[in-house]
Amino acid sequence: MNKKFLAFGAVALASATVLSACSAGGDASSTGGAGSGSLSIYAWAGEIPDSVIEGFEAETGIDVTVDTFDSNETMISKLAAGNSGYDVVEPSQYAVQLMVERDLIAEIDKSKLEGFDNLAEKFVDPSFDPGNTHSIPWAWGTTGILYNEACTGAEVTGWSDMWNPDYAGKVYMLDNMLSAYIAGLQVNGLSATSTDEAEIATATDSLLEQKPLLGGYNSTNYADLVGTGDACIAEAYSGTTSAKAVEANPDVHYIIPEEGGTLWTDSFSIVEGTANEDAAYQWLNYTLRPEVAALVTDDASLASTNAAALELVADQSQVENPAIYAPADSLTNSEFIVDPGDALAYFQDGWTRVRAS
Amino acid sequence: MVDVNTPRTSRAAGYLMLLPAVAVIALLVIVPMVVIARDSFAVSDPLGGNLGGFTLDNYAKLLDPVYAKTLGYSLGMAALNAVVCTVVGYIVAHYIATRPAKTQPVLLVLVIIPFLTDFLVRTFAWITLLGSGGPFISLLRLVGVDAPSLVPSQLAVTLSLLYAFLPVAVFPIYASMRSIDPSLKEAAADLGAGWWQTHARIFVPLSASGLASSVMLTFVPTLGVFVIPVLLGGGKDPLVGNLIVTLFTEFRNEPLGAALSMVVLVLMLLSVAAAGLILRARSNRKAGAV
Repeated sequence: MNKKFLAFGAVALASATVLSACSAGGDASSTGGAGSGSLSIYAWAGEIPDSVIEGFEAETGIDVTVDTFDSNETMISKLAAGNSGYDVVEPSQYAVQLMVERDLIAEIDKSKLEGFDNLAEKFVDPSFDPGNTHSIPWAWGTTGILYNEACTGAEVTGWSDMWNPDYAGKVYMLDNMLSAYIAGLQVNGLSATSTDEAEIATATDSLLEQKPLLGGYNSTNYADLVGTGDACIAEAYSGTTSAKAVEANPDVHYIIPEEGGTLWTDSFSIVEGTANEDAAYQWLNYTLRPEVAALVTDDASLASTNAAALELVADQSQVENPAIYAPADSLTNSEFIVDPGDALAYFQDGWTRVRAS
Repeated sequence: MVDVNTPRTSRAAGYLMLLPAVAVIALLVIVPMVVIARDSFAVSDPLGGNLGGFTLDNYAKLLDPVYAKTLGYSLGMAALNAVVCTVVGYIVAHYIATRPAKTQPVLLVLVIIPFLTDFLVRTFAWITLLGSGGPFISLLRLVGVDAPSLVPSQLAVTLSLLYAFLPVAVFPIYASMRSIDPSLKEAAADLGAGWWQTHARIFVPLSASGLASSVMLTFVPTLGVFVIPVLLGGGKDPLVGNLIVTLFTEFRNEPLGAALSMVVLVLMLLSVAAAGLILRARSNRKAGAV
C-alpha cells in the first residue's frame, strides 16, 4: 500500500461521497413480462402502484417500464434535452403549463378516450389546462398544515398559527418556493396565485418575519418530525407520508388552513413525438377506469381524481382521512397553484432573500 | 512485446496505457465542465429554456450581496470541516500508524466499511442518532438532563460532515506518517521530549504533506455538500450547493446556476493553488536551511 494508492483511495472516497449525494434523487424502475409493444412511463415516485402496472401488463401484453422523479424540474429538463424515450409523463399542474408552452407534451385526441366522464368535476377543464387538451388528472392533493396537538396544546386552524411565537423552533415550512409563498400570501388574505409585485413583496416580508421562528425548511421528513413532536406544526402536502403520520398518532392532525386552500394534481400526458402512441392511449383509458383509479388510494394513499372510483376504494377509512381526501367544505375557496409566468422573477427575488436572511 | 528497456518505446507504451484514464477524465470531468462554463454565459428564458447566445448578465446577478453571504458562510463551514477532519484524522492516523504492521490494514478497512453504505442512508442514521428518540438524547435524559433534540443544529451538521469526510482525511495523513522512521520517536523520548513536543516537533512537521492533502481533500468537496445542511441543519442556512440546486431546479435558470458553479470552481482552484504555493514555499525554506 503506497502513498499514491492511498491518495487515490482518498480522492475516490471524496468523489463517491459527493456523487452519491447527487444520485440521491434516484431513478427506480420496474419492468413486466414480454408482450406486444412497450410503454415507457416517467412518473412521480410512489404515485403509480405496482398493482396498476401489473394489471395493465396482464390485460394488454404491453411491456411497461416506469422511471420515477421527485421534482417537476428534473422531469422537464430530461424531456427538454430530447430523445428521452418516454411515452407518458406525469407532470403537476404548473408543469403541464410549462410543457405545453415548450411543446414537450402532445395534444390529446379526446375521441380516443373512454371513461373521461369518470373524472370529478374540479379536474375537468381545470385552470391550468383548459379543456384537458394536454393532461388527464390522475392523483390530487392539497397543501395544508400538519400539526401535533400534544405539542401545540391547542387546535390549529390556519396559517397564522405558523407565525405563533409559542411554537418557536418547532415550526417547519416546505423547502419549496411556491409552496412557501402559499402560506406567505394567504396569511395576508391574498390569493395564492397572485402575480402582483406588491402583494408578493408583502408575502416576502411575512416569510422574513417568520424565519426566526422556524426549526427549518423541510420537504423530506417533516411528517416524521411532527410525529415525534420535534416539530409542532409544519406546512405539509397531503398524501402518503402525511396520511401515515395521521394514522399512526392520534395527536397528529392535517388541516386545510381557514385562510384558503390550494390544490395540486398530477396528470398523465403523452410525450410529444412518442413512438408508442397507441399504447399511451391504452394507458390513459386503463387508468380512467374507476376500479383502477381506486388503487391509487388503496395502494398509494393518494386521492383519486376519478369520482366513480371513490366508492370502489376497499379501505374507506382512507377516503375519510383528511390527509388524503380533504373534506369538500374546506375546499370551497381552493384553487390550483398555476405557473406564475413573468411574476416568477418577483418570487425568486423574494425567496432568495428569505433563504439567505 | 514492447521492449521496456528501450526508452522510446517504453515512453510510447506508457502514453498508450495512460490513454483510457485520460479518455475517462476528458469525458467525465472536462466535457461537463466545458458545458457548464459555456452555459454560464448563456441567456435563459422564463420557461426554463437555455437560449444560448452570450451574456455576462449571469455573473452580474451574482454580485447581489445575498450570494456573497452564502458563499462566505459555505467557505467558513468548509474551512471548519477541513480543520476538524484533519485534527481528528491526525489522531486516528497516528493511532493506526503506531499499531503492529499486521493490524494496520485491518484498521484501515474498518475506517472504510461504513462508506460502502449510501451517503443518504448514513445521513438519515444521524437523524436517528441525534434526534429526540435517539440514544444520545435518551442517555442525557437518563442522567436527568432535559435536552432538546439535536436535530436541527449546527452541531449535528458539524458532526455529520466530520463523519462523511473523515476517511478522506485519515488516508493521506496515514500515508505520510507511515514513512516516519519509528526510531525518531525513541530518539525524541531519549532526548527528553514530552508527548506534546514529540508531536509538535516530529510527527506534525514530518506529516505536513499528508495534513495539507487532508485539508484540501476535505475542504473542496465540503463546498459542494447540499443534503446534510437540509436534513441535519434544518435548511435555514443554505450552503452554496443548496443555492445551485435551487437555481437549476425551482428557479429554472440553468445559466445562473452554471455561473454560480463556475464561481465555486474558481474558488476551489484558487484554494488548491494557494495551498500548493504555501507548501512549496515551506519546502524551499527547508531546502535553504540545510
